[in-house]
Amino acid sequence: MSTDSYLTDGDTLRSWLLTTDHKRIALLYLFTITGFFFIGGSAAALVRYNLITPEGMIHSAETYNRLFTMHGVVMVWFFLVPAVPVSLGNFLVPLMLGARDLAFPRLNLFSWYLFLLGGFIVLFSLLMGGVDTGWTFYTPLSTAYSQGYVVWCVVGIFISGFSSIATGVNFIVSIHRLRAPGMTWFRMPVFLWSLYATSVILVLATPVLAMTLLLLAFEAIFHIGVFDPALGGDPLLFQHLFWFYSHPAVYVMILPGFGIVSEIIPAFSRKELFGYKFVVWCSIAIAVISFLVWGHHMFVAGTSIYSALVFSILSYMVAVPSAIKVFNWLGTMHKGYIRFDAPMLYALGFVGLFTMGGLTGLFVAALGADVHLTQTYFVVAHFHYVMVGGMVSAFFAGLHYWWPKITGRMYPEMWGRAGALTIFIGFHLTFFPQFILGYLGMPRRYHSYSPEFQTLNVLSSAGTLVLAAGYLLPLAYLTWSLFHGEKARDNPWAATGLEWLTHSPPPTENFAETPRVTGKPYDYPPPEQAAIT
Amino acid sequence: MARRLLVTYGLLLLLLGIEVAGSFLPLGRGARPLILLPAVIMVGIVGLQFMDVRSGPTIVRLFAAGAIIWLVILLGLGSLDPLTRIQYPVPAQTAPESY
Amino acid sequence: MIETVGNHEFQYSDARHQSHTAISGMWLFLASETLFFGALFLAWIYARHWRLEGFDLGARHTDMTLGTVNSVILITSSVIYAAGVLYAEAGNMRRLVQCCYAAMAFGVVFLLLKFGLEWHTDFSHHLFPGADFPIKGAARGGAQLFFVFYFMSTALHGLHMLIGLGLVLWIVVRAKRGEFTREYTTPVTVVGLYWAFVDMVWIVLYPLIYLIGRGA
Repeated sequence: MSTDSYLTDGDTLRSWLLTTDHKRIALLYLFTITGFFFIGGSAAALVRYNLITPEGMIHSAETYNRLFTMHGVVMVWFFLVPAVPVSLGNFLVPLMLGARDLAFPRLNLFSWYLFLLGGFIVLFSLLMGGVDTGWTFYTPLSTAYSQGYVVWCVVGIFISGFSSIATGVNFIVSIHRLRAPGMTWFRMPVFLWSLYATSVILVLATPVLAMTLLLLAFEAIFHIGVFDPALGGDPLLFQHLFWFYSHPAVYVMILPGFGIVSEIIPAFSRKELFGYKFVVWCSIAIAVISFLVWGHHMFVAGTSIYSALVFSILSYMVAVPSAIKVFNWLGTMHKGYIRFDAPMLYALGFVGLFTMGGLTGLFVAALGADVHLTQTYFVVAHFHYVMVGGMVSAFFAGLHYWWPKITGRMYPEMWGRAGALTIFIGFHLTFFPQFILGYLGMPRRYHSYSPEFQTLNVLSSAGTLVLAAGYLLPLAYLTWSLFHGEKARDNPWAATGLEWLTHSPPPTENFAETPRVTGKPYDYPPPEQAAIT
Repeated sequence: MARRLLVTYGLLLLLLGIEVAGSFLPLGRGARPLILLPAVIMVGIVGLQFMDVRSGPTIVRLFAAGAIIWLVILLGLGSLDPLTRIQYPVPAQTAPESY
Repeated sequence: MIETVGNHEFQYSDARHQSHTAISGMWLFLASETLFFGALFLAWIYARHWRLEGFDLGARHTDMTLGTVNSVILITSSVIYAAGVLYAEAGNMRRLVQCCYAAMAFGVVFLLLKFGLEWHTDFSHHLFPGADFPIKGAARGGAQLFFVFYFMSTALHGLHMLIGLGLVLWIVVRAKRGEFTREYTTPVTVVGLYWAFVDMVWIVLYPLIYLIGRGA
């Protein structure tokens, strides 16, 4: 047993690029998704720059279309879907299970290379001139009229999908098979349950996307006619198949965030998670029901009204388990001993922003309201509240919370809090005006707009400057902390969970001896005895 | 063991035969998909007999059931729209001779 | 339980644990594959629903005899491989190898009949969607879509069969190297799962292609 950590166990490039250590693979992925985040973010900055004036600062509508497409494609498939599972998930799943590695370590490494390959191909298509169809690739624009590199882009996404499936298989099998002695299903931390639910979606939804993209590519190249009514096809078939994956995909994005928040709030309230079993069953319920609601993206597309009605009702149902979780988090905090360290600030930001985003989802789930709100900025604001306000906040929360474990260093606390606050303020400034804009009728995906919308647009674009500062801050101080941060103890937060039993950073084999679990998760002492550290 | 394999083989061929015979029945266009019933049974037999569903690790049953349920969701809920869409009449169109 | 086969990777408690894990992993992958082909089946449903006449007319241009013969061949291949697995579990690796060879032979015959004979015939009748498509008029759209489905599904199935043949060959190689014992046959089982799945896909494709469209 070496006293070295996984970071020092081999320092050649080869030992990193050919590693099968889940912790190193997690870092490889973290580095990659950070890169993609800034690429997608730059595209967003240019989009918001364009919208400062009604005629559009970027004079070509075509360029604008390519920008928002690049933003969507990169952010959805190369940041939001993979981020938490491949970085925090890969790092923490074996540690939380008390295992030495995942079930299939070489598959894990292979998944990173697939991800890279897919990413490079998509970037290639963007560099060659990009795609103007939106990340949703609706036909017939994508198959018959687009002047962009649709097929290349779609091939890249297709390849990265196999990375998702591999990760999902690895997590599910690991959670079933590699739990430490004594860790029954209901002694697992919620983060593991949420990654299990996420992985179910990854395994079952991604293959449908694969076939959809294959059909799309053949339609674009060979005009097979499967989506073309003149040749006997149905353009709505594309939308059904696309959203069958893409709706559950948004739950892939948020479920790990729920898991992270469910770890942080108990730790910083020094209280056990309120209603653990409810939170667990809600995670599973969300994963299942998420597959039943995809038609709510197609209410005005021409589907049958009966099918639309069914999807609307189911969409209301999917909101219930998420709402239950919010109450569980609040119940955890109630009469807890709360500390406002950076992870907690991010987690609280998540609760607020996600709740707002989730509630506004209900507006668009109502058929009548959706006729007015669909394809406007209301929808854009809704999904950015859940995905950016929610998921990205949760990602940062988790990054800060487990940073000591991953790197062995503490981040500077005051800067961490400043970052959390900056992101929260910048986010509202950017996206709240968009709810109003959408309600007033401003359509999405247009490079110009009617002059009366300018004030709100300028406000929104100004907000992006604050938001950008909020994202660059952690990049700066987290990088700084790698070299100058205070060395971390094994369990700086005095939190529960097997990952805190080992060193910060952990040795390659994770645990010197396989841990044995004897108690429930979140075994914090009752509030009267909460230690003040 | 060998006997069971032979019985399974026979059963599969029998079902294949039923399926072929069934396709000659005068079923209406909408009822034709019923010919899939023997096929579904055959899939079940292959799953149960050749894939150790009953004797393998328990979670295998969960995964197999999951695959079937999700397939039903995709095909069932996915078919709901075209089956219930109201088709408004359009002037008769002939498909283009060349595309 | 005494562990006669000592090797298992570090994250497993024993060989049986590792074996069950590998089997679970393959099953989960097959669940994924089910949804992959499932999306294609949905496309079949849509195409047939919107262009019933043309779609079924296209189906009547398939070679039912060849399709049925191929079904028998593939089912036989599956049964033979399953027998091979049983032999392996009984410790008879010689018979395992023979069964693998036989299963592969049937698989190769399937591929030759399908791509060498059937596709070749289809191409000579210009049934590949394009300007020369023989069915014209109102039924053209549906018929063409049928053949899009036909060529795509058989190509994808064929690709999976090629991979399966490769996997079975790998089992032969490993068996000849003496890597399997009656206690350790996991790869044989895992490949068997994949091969049986390939069979399952064909069992569903066969009526979709050859039988349903042939109305009275």
